[in-house]
Amino acid sequence: MTWLMRSLCVGALSLAASAPAFAAAGEHSLAALSMGALAETKARIETLAGNFAQAPGELRQLTEQTRKSMMSGTGVRGFTYLLILLLVGAAAEWLYWTYAYSPLRAIHATPVETPLQALRLGLRHLLLRVSGMLLFTFAAIGVSAAFSWPAGMHELVIALTLLLLSLRLSWVAVAIIVAPGRPQFKLVPVDPRRARWLAATVVVALSLLAFGQFVPAILERAAEARHAAGLLRFAAYAAATLILLVGAFTLFSRPSGPSGAAQMRLPIIPRSFLLALLVAAVFVAWVMSERVAAVTLIVAIVIALQLGLRDMVYFYWRGDGESGEAQGALPAIVLSLARFVVVLVGIGAAALALDTPLTALAESVSPWVRIGLRLLGVAVLALLAHGVWIAVRSVVDHRLAGIGPVDPHHTPDASSRLLTLLPLLRVTTAVVLMVMLVLSSLWALGIEITPLLAGAGVLGIALGFGAQALVRDVIAGIFFLAEDAFRVGEYVESGTNTKGTVERITLRSVALRHHNGPLHFVPYGSLGTVRNQSRDWVIDKFNLPLPIEVDSETIRKMIKKIGEDMKNDPELGGLLLEPLKGKLYRVDPSVKIFRCKFRSPPGKQFDLRASALKRIEAALKKLGLGFADGRQTVLMHPPAATPPA
Amino acid sequence: MQAATVVRNARLISGLVLMAFVTGHLANLSIGIHSLEAMEAWRAQLMDPWRSGVGQPLLLAAVCIHVAFGLYAISARRSMTLSRADVVQLVLGLLTPPLLLNHVVVTYMADQVTPDFDSAYGMLLAIYWKFSPGYAFQQLFVVVIVWIHAALGLYSWLVLKPVWRRVGGFVLPALFAVPILALIGFAEAGKEVLAKLASDPAWQAHITDNITSIVKVTSKMDALQAQILLTYGALLLLAAGVFAARMLRDRLTPVRIVYDGGACAQGRRGLSVLELSILNDVPHAHVCSGRGRCGTCRVQVDAGAQALSPANDIEQATLARVSEGKPVAAGVRLACQARVLGAGVEVTRLLPAYADASAARLPQDWLADDAAPARDPAP
Ligand code: FES
Repeated sequence: MTWLMRSLCVGALSLAASAPAFAAAGEHSLAALSMGALAETKARIETLAGNFAQAPGELRQLTEQTRKSMMSGTGVRGFTYLLILLLVGAAAEWLYWTYAYSPLRAIHATPVETPLQALRLGLRHLLLRVSGMLLFTFAAIGVSAAFSWPAGMHELVIALTLLLLSLRLSWVAVAIIVAPGRPQFKLVPVDPRRARWLAATVVVALSLLAFGQFVPAILERAAEARHAAGLLRFAAYAAATLILLVGAFTLFSRPSGPSGAAQMRLPIIPRSFLLALLVAAVFVAWVMSERVAAVTLIVAIVIALQLGLRDMVYFYWRGDGESGEAQGALPAIVLSLARFVVVLVGIGAAALALDTPLTALAESVSPWVRIGLRLLGVAVLALLAHGVWIAVRSVVDHRLAGIGPVDPHHTPDASSRLLTLLPLLRVTTAVVLMVMLVLSSLWALGIEITPLLAGAGVLGIALGFGAQALVRDVIAGIFFLAEDAFRVGEYVESGTNTKGTVERITLRSVALRHHNGPLHFVPYGSLGTVRNQSRDWVIDKFNLPLPIEVDSETIRKMIKKIGEDMKNDPELGGLLLEPLKGKLYRVDPSVKIFRCKFRSPPGKQFDLRASALKRIEAALKKLGLGFADGRQTVLMHPPAATPPA
Repeated sequence: MQAATVVRNARLISGLVLMAFVTGHLANLSIGIHSLEAMEAWRAQLMDPWRSGVGQPLLLAAVCIHVAFGLYAISARRSMTLSRADVVQLVLGLLTPPLLLNHVVVTYMADQVTPDFDSAYGMLLAIYWKFSPGYAFQQLFVVVIVWIHAALGLYSWLVLKPVWRRVGGFVLPALFAVPILALIGFAEAGKEVLAKLASDPAWQAHITDNITSIVKVTSKMDALQAQILLTYGALLLLAAGVFAARMLRDRLTPVRIVYDGGACAQGRRGLSVLELSILNDVPHAHVCSGRGRCGTCRVQVDAGAQALSPANDIEQATLARVSEGKPVAAGVRLACQARVLGAGVEVTRLLPAYADASAARLPQDWLADDAAPARDPAP
């Protein structure tokens, strides 16, 4: 059930993530589309080849140009200013650190026990670092306004400062997330031995990507060296791809070596392979067309995150260990939410990358877009249902696990009502959610459900007549349960002379175990009056026939004394709600009958009565008395001298 | 005094002398913000003392000592466990001689080789801004490099002293202000020179003459430079070679130490306790990064004291300083100076790993309870 929901969710979400791509594909047929893509790819590859051929000449020209412009008073001036900027930025940041160092030290000094703590500290750490970098950037850019730069140099310098900022940001972010060298500070589950390499790989790849993004753009704008820029971009991206590929294969391969759990697992596609596939796909898409590349990149990131999200989220609740599943509702809900947020952000990013406003998407007439949007709707619904289901299920499971295993023949206590209702609630929720999800998905897909509902209504009526008894049972059951007439483990007698301990409760019937063994399945509809023997308390009364000569006051006192003794007994005392009392009840010929009574919790009265009788017998013996023996004493009058016959 | 102390103090003092010279030089440059003339006028006060009979040998000696002992320090290293600031300082320091040589030769040698050479600021700036800007880039680089190298050295030395709390507020901004102002002065003076070159043909002719005279001796100067560079390169290679040879030799005999809390570290014989900690990612305070100045790395030796190298006088002095008048407790060592020569060493770190420079300035604040294990920070 969960598995189904989850895969539905993830599948639908991932599909929906490509909705903007469908939108871009837009108004054309599939064949035309693929032809267009082919043509575009061909053109791109030709451009790339052209870049290779023409770039060297352009680069040579470019260096010549730069050398000429730099080797002059203006070049020297620009360089001097650049150095001043860097120094001013460094000064600002250094000053900042003279104050910010103590908080940073406090972070390093805090002993970290749980990943959640590490997350909190990591965020604080990031904030401190980022503030310093921003200060550097603002100081440098602000001061740059004060100088009279040689033509074109100012933009270049600002672009360089921003490039520097982005490089440092990515570096610090990666270092904080992976925490090489301080495993307890890491924010994602990584093998500490691989942390250093992982961080290095990611940082180098990110730097290459940033380089490929910024520098060729500058070249294009400032020097109009299109081919050289293209070549640089290609080289940077290719290098980044290569590094990521190598990283994916070496850093994400499962550590070999037999570990019990790993051997039991079904073979799965190795994560390293999937990641490498994603990286390669993005690069190929980039070679084909830039627009496709952006979307592919986003989809790849979304998929990669979805792959790792589960481990990442659960890492915060159970640490690195693989064991332990039931964690309460929170991680599961957080996981669903995180999956959802990742996809939504992905969709937003894709829309941004394609320059498609979301409103335009909604009004688009292309069938692809509409299908995409509807899938998105279904995904949202599935996610909501999944969320509710996870929440209900884990709350129910959690409570049930807290109560412990079900034993219907044990004394029912306060939790028995939960035991009765919770499993019922779980099943009901699943059914209701499934029905609602199916119906609303159909609706979201644009299928008219009104006639369906109407049909179901008619059918319902027909069924209703047929299954009147069933409906009556279910409804009666609802009322029985709502009124708390009985719970699992209680001894009940129903109006139809069936009695027994409640063992199981379903939507339609209740199972009663008779004390001789047979199990009665009683539909609620025929349950009638329920006499619940197990509620609150019972009063037990029994008679005590004694010889006529006994003094009733002595006996009353004796019984009272026994009652007090039992009250003080460590085992029985707690069970007596009202102590044993007795009084003369009736006088029969040659017998005085005393009636005793006490109050106890349900089900305990039999044991209590037995032990009371035992004590009474002993006390009587001490007094030299016995129970009435029923023998009649016949007195002959006058006493005969003759011996009896 | 032992050799280690001599080397350390010599490097420190020669470095300070050089820094004083550089500061004066940069201050002179920054006067260019006002005018070229003022720059020239202040030269007598700021630069000429270094050309006097006392100043010149002093400067020369400082250069030689600083370079030589710097290279010696590299060769004496046992591992490459350097903090990030150390790496920056080391690399910049190594880069300085080749980059700076040209400037020194032009300004210092030229007027010896060609007596009528005019090494006024106007002349040099004209060369930099107009005739061969390539040198200007080199010089700008060198200003920044030398200054960062010097500032890091000064800062990491001074920040450990109690006096830092009084002077830190002035020194730190000054460390940044000096190069920034010098660069601005350089740029402003450069503008002025360019304007003057354009408007004053006589001056331009003078400069051109000068340059032709210097071009005549370029080959001589180049030869000199090449010689110096060659010597420097050879010395550097030698230092690196000694370092590598020691690493290779020591690699054959591994040692192992155990820390409080059960952590343990492994490495080559002859490494200091601190180097072992760093190589094995064991958290260990080392504010002065193993120079034996701060005392934050100190440990209590619980076992195997005889397998550690004996305390040198740097260590003794620092231990005496941080114990502030009280006798040094038995078994306390500086982890950065005590080298592990045998097996069975067990130590307890006395300061928490996050100790900072204040632990060197106010040692007692950080050791309120001598017996407290170093791992748990006070709440
Ligand atoms: S690290 Fe500073 S004295 Fe050892």
